[in-house]
Amino acid sequence: MSERRLETLKGFYHNYVKSFYEMAHKAREEGKLVAWVASTFPVEILLAMDIIPVWPENYASLCAARRVSVPLCELAERKGFSKDICSYARCVLGSLFDEENLPEGGIPRPDVLVASTCACDTHLKWFQVASRFFKKPLLLLDVPYNIESTNPENLEDHYIQHYVYQLEDLVSLLEKHSGIKLDEGKLRKTLELSDRAGELWLRVQDYRKNVPAPMGAREAFSAVYFILCIPGTEQAVKFYEVLCGELEQRVKHGVGVAENETYRLVWDNLPLWFNLKIFQYLRGLGAVVVAETFSHVWAGSLDPSKPYESLARKYLSNMSNCSIERRIELIAGLVRNFRANGVILPTNWGCRMMTIGETIVKRRIQEMTGVSSLILDVDSTDWRNYDEYRVKTKLETYLRTLK
Amino acid sequence: MKMRDGSFIEMLELFRTLISADNKFIKEWKRRNKPVLGYACSYTPEEIIYAAGILPIRVLGGLEPPKLADIYLPVNVCSFAKSCLNKALKEEYNVLDGYAVSNSCDNQNKIYDLWRHCTTIHKTYFINTPHSVTEKTLEFFCEEFERFRQWLTDSFEAKISEEDLKVAIEIFNENRRLLKQVYELRRRDPPLVSGSDALEIVLSSMMIPKDEHNELLHALLGEVENREDLIKGGVRLLVSGSVMDASELLRLIEGVGGCVVADDLCSGSRYFWNLVKENGEPVRAIAERYLHKVPCPFMYSSEERFNHVKEMVKFFDVEGVLIFSLKSCDVHSFDAPLLAEELRGKEGLPVLCLEWEHSLSGIAQLRTRIEAFVEMLGE
Repeated sequence: MSERRLETLKGFYHNYVKSFYEMAHKAREEGKLVAWVASTFPVEILLAMDIIPVWPENYASLCAARRVSVPLCELAERKGFSKDICSYARCVLGSLFDEENLPEGGIPRPDVLVASTCACDTHLKWFQVASRFFKKPLLLLDVPYNIESTNPENLEDHYIQHYVYQLEDLVSLLEKHSGIKLDEGKLRKTLELSDRAGELWLRVQDYRKNVPAPMGAREAFSAVYFILCIPGTEQAVKFYEVLCGELEQRVKHGVGVAENETYRLVWDNLPLWFNLKIFQYLRGLGAVVVAETFSHVWAGSLDPSKPYESLARKYLSNMSNCSIERRIELIAGLVRNFRANGVILPTNWGCRMMTIGETIVKRRIQEMTGVSSLILDVDSTDWRNYDEYRVKTKLETYLRTLK
Repeated sequence: MKMRDGSFIEMLELFRTLISADNKFIKEWKRRNKPVLGYACSYTPEEIIYAAGILPIRVLGGLEPPKLADIYLPVNVCSFAKSCLNKALKEEYNVLDGYAVSNSCDNQNKIYDLWRHCTTIHKTYFINTPHSVTEKTLEFFCEEFERFRQWLTDSFEAKISEEDLKVAIEIFNENRRLLKQVYELRRRDPPLVSGSDALEIVLSSMMIPKDEHNELLHALLGEVENREDLIKGGVRLLVSGSVMDASELLRLIEGVGGCVVADDLCSGSRYFWNLVKENGEPVRAIAERYLHKVPCPFMYSSEERFNHVKEMVKFFDVEGVLIFSLKSCDVHSFDAPLLAEELRGKEGLPVLCLEWEHSLSGIAQLRTRIEAFVEMLGE
């Protein structure tokens, strides 16, 4: 079935992702500072300091989409890294040992690495390995786990205060290593842009509540790039403004992303980066992904007058830093608000954080919304155990059970 | 070879039987209507629990396949944490009045969700352990411990005075000193205590009141000097890894000619190596101890653990190192190749990296590899 591509997303990879890597490589050559950054780190700080943030996670997904991630994972495994660790990490660590065959010339070498404890153990461990490899410092934003799944407004002062202290310490270390002073005015401006981009990104999601949905997962997993990687930029705001405009038109004319929309699905966790065509296959069966948890966890409101505190609220309440209640609430909310009648819960082999508890999520979602979920045992980046036939059969059988 | 000294062997046997949630000391404790709190990680401040008149015991797994936990968890999950959950689901931890977890790894944190949702243990607590050591993280950790203290007070109608804490610190420190003495018996060649015996002694210390354990250790150390014979020497090995809650793996190594003289395990040396400062404000002193102890690899600095391993290598005259990564244990798996490189490159030590399952499935293959390694070193 033909895909009704959004104009705004045409040439996305070439126009935005590829050009970002080109810019970053060039900037590095010209002596600008490059930081490796892991998700849930408040990247706004780097943007405000004119340090180029490059995302190994993004690079791994890119390698998977280009179908080169597995050879890179194998390289890491030959260096002694277990096959059971995160495939993003294996892919990127493998890329350190391959100088030649890397898409976009590889990830620019870092001057510094930054990570936060908000997402997973892997970020810290993976970046420790890279930090030793490059002999560059790793700065860790060591902050509390949100065990009560408290939302941003109700987080305890004890947690907020600690986050703020940690961020202050980290910024002074970053200033020391980079020789760049964080300008408060610039930080406020970056937060304003990030807040605005977040608002627009959530508006993009809101359009998808319409029946038929004007945008699917394939587009969302591309367009999330700005809010994830470079949220506090004019480019992000501008892109989402244009996207909102196009979606507005589609909704007005009742144009859906699929010609026939029988099933509306919520997609949890990551996509199969090496096989994004699965979404096209689903559309062919009349199933449109109308919401991804991934699209709903990166935007968060920021108050430029209280920069550190609002970053603390945003990131401490990120789903990956919370106990399972937050994930359950989020998915149940998406099912209700997006009028979904199915939920796909893909696992990710090397990801404990998202894999553990899926059975509880499935049970609770059923209890709360009456909608059943399908747990899909896959990996986002490493296709060696992927069985296309099995996955398709599972999806098809599951869809038939949906009302 | 002379006969083993009877009472010494009996004592070792006793320690072995204590590694269980239904040992006689726990039964006696419960008979006196006192609560028992299970904990999941060596970063849990046991002194505070003990000072509240609550018995802290380490939640351990078992070797049987975790059939009940398998209903909730996929295969790509830490098999130790899964095995512990399995025991709780089987209601083998009914002795517990509560359960406490430290923010130490994804496996533990996320499986804690299942403890809360699926088991019958309702009093649960999560301590937000920092992952790095700075003045600010210490302050935060102190505050976390004060909150934990408050939770214990509220949930178990307990009182915890400063004096109680000081007494607990002294008792725990004594236990740590005595365990170190047991470890030092392994500096000799052949060692006076085997690796598997030493592991069982440490594990048993987590399962009974520490003052009682101290008495047992005094008795053991008194007996040991009469012991003249018995342990076969062999290639002197250090075992590094996460948690080992049973001695089977070490027995396997000892069975093929290895002599485990030291370890870097969270259920071994990392559990007791560091003391709490006895002068000063107790909660702060406890927080300092746990934050500064030989780190587990979820902490920011892997180097400190690597240094601990290197010091152990020298102290115990180690000839080879076995690095065990429990499958799906991310933090150890990332460290394993780095530690191996460090030991091979800088110390010139032979190293063998192995992945293992807590249930010991695939043990035949492990045995072959370990045997070959030991043989190679023995030549």
